[in-house]
Amino acid sequence: MTGSGDMSRRRGRSGLWFFVLILVCAVFLLPLYWTVVTALRETGRPLPRHIEWFPSPAIWGNFRTVFEVVDAGRFALNSLVIASVAVPATIVFASLAGFAMSQLPHRYRVRLVAVSALCLMVPLTAIWIPRFLLFKEAGLMNRRVALMVPSLMGTSPFFVLIFLWAFSTVPKEVYDAARLDGAGAYRIWAGIGLPQAKAAIGTVGVLAFVHYWNSFVEPLLLMRTSDKFTASLGLRTLYSLDGTNWPIIMAGSLLTIVPVVTVFVLAQRAFLRDLRNMDRRVG
Amino acid sequence: MTLARWWQRNSQRVALNSMLLPYLIGLALLVIGPGLAGFALSLTDYNAIQSPSWARLENFRRLPHDQIFRIAVFNSLLYIVLAVPLRLIGALALAKLLQRPRRSSMVVRAIVYLPTVIPDLAWALIWLWILNPLYGPLNQLLELVGIDGLAWMVDPSTARIGIVLMMVWQLGEGFIVCLAALGSVDPDLPDQAAIDGGGTWSTFRGIILPTIAPVLLILVFRDTIFSFQANFVPALILGKGGGPDYATMYLPMYIYTTAFGYLRFGYAASMTVAMYAITGIILLLQYRLTHRWHDGFGRHE
Repeated sequence: MTGSGDMSRRRGRSGLWFFVLILVCAVFLLPLYWTVVTALRETGRPLPRHIEWFPSPAIWGNFRTVFEVVDAGRFALNSLVIASVAVPATIVFASLAGFAMSQLPHRYRVRLVAVSALCLMVPLTAIWIPRFLLFKEAGLMNRRVALMVPSLMGTSPFFVLIFLWAFSTVPKEVYDAARLDGAGAYRIWAGIGLPQAKAAIGTVGVLAFVHYWNSFVEPLLLMRTSDKFTASLGLRTLYSLDGTNWPIIMAGSLLTIVPVVTVFVLAQRAFLRDLRNMDRRVG
Repeated sequence: MTLARWWQRNSQRVALNSMLLPYLIGLALLVIGPGLAGFALSLTDYNAIQSPSWARLENFRRLPHDQIFRIAVFNSLLYIVLAVPLRLIGALALAKLLQRPRRSSMVVRAIVYLPTVIPDLAWALIWLWILNPLYGPLNQLLELVGIDGLAWMVDPSTARIGIVLMMVWQLGEGFIVCLAALGSVDPDLPDQAAIDGGGTWSTFRGIILPTIAPVLLILVFRDTIFSFQANFVPALILGKGGGPDYATMYLPMYIYTTAFGYLRFGYAASMTVAMYAITGIILLLQYRLTHRWHDGFGRHE
């Protein structure tokens, strides 16, 4: 095997690799691309019989139309208010629970992790009905507060586990030293734990924002009047008004997508890297 | 005095417990409690207007004779058989492809994860448009390469495929887990195998796959359970409530219709209990199956 032959083979392989990469990108971006093309299409024109790769002319006013047809500003505001309360609350309560779990004796921690994992295994479908009846009895029907309530438990056991892993990476001696200095558990959580868990805060923050912004089934069950509707519920209203006006439906869909995708793109580097490193930390 | 001393000794512990309290109360009230309440509710007739009346096992006796329930169980199982392996293989293949932490693969990783963060409702509407048999871009793309388009959500058999298809794109979670699992494989192991003369595929099959098998099994478990909630919005939007001809009437869709459409909460709760049982059986089967598969590997070596 000569050196140059090896090199050209390697170059051939890396060329193939790039081709596959581009193919993967195309496949995963195509649905979104088609959404954009359709969202910018003129509404009055008959729908296309052959594939269209570019909207001509591009009608940016379709987005304004969405706001005229439904109270989209209200829906977006509701979702934003819910997320802006629930996301910080999620970070606080999930990190508190994760921190406590990291500090408790081993046998308690094992049990708490087991309970958390078990709770992650419960399909949400199975708790729709009892939860609905519970919220109804508690007088939380048609109140936006109902959608924020899960943040008081850290939203998901998964978020608590992410924090547990993050806090477990800090050497035990660091915590012990602070304790000898007379710092209480809350002081150690705020002063030593959280600054060490910035990546976890970012990850949970992104995931929690995606969760609350995207949430559809819970508001579908609990919210009754359209002034309480969230972005996704509002999008369903838009769809039910005229289910064949595809440019407007796609424009509305894009409007609900843009905030999550923006947050994701801004945070994806830290987010993807952090989740990737997670299992190494456990081990 | 004694109280003060007790506090001095236990203040740390009390503070830690108080940190855990919101989480544990939340789990009890919002997850464990409702999970168990479903069992009690399944033994009643309840329409959320009048107070519940005791029905004993009447709901469960009715279930096997309910045509739609049987269809829903069949559809749910079919969905799991199709979607879970496809999503796993896709996630694993993409993770293997993008395993090396190059700059370009970091960008592609983000793109692969992107569909997963899109709101379920928007994603369902997008696919309702993509799968439109006449005007949808997918059929038009197929036409471009000379393939006749499918009827998708108009025909029961293609409707099932359509729902599975749209869920394959949202495999980001599994993808991340596979990346983490591959990253945790000792890098010397595959190198050793390469020296021993193994090809890429045989190294992957013989060394990497058995090493990450436990993670993959958990992923299969999770995806199976997740499938009992994930196909609700697609069935609601693309299937317009379980259609065409009940082809997308999955268990979550039927539970939702029974409870919140017909206000038969007790009967719907009995379906969730059946759903627990079905999930349990599937998980057991998957566990036994992979165990045998894993043993097979052991004997091979």
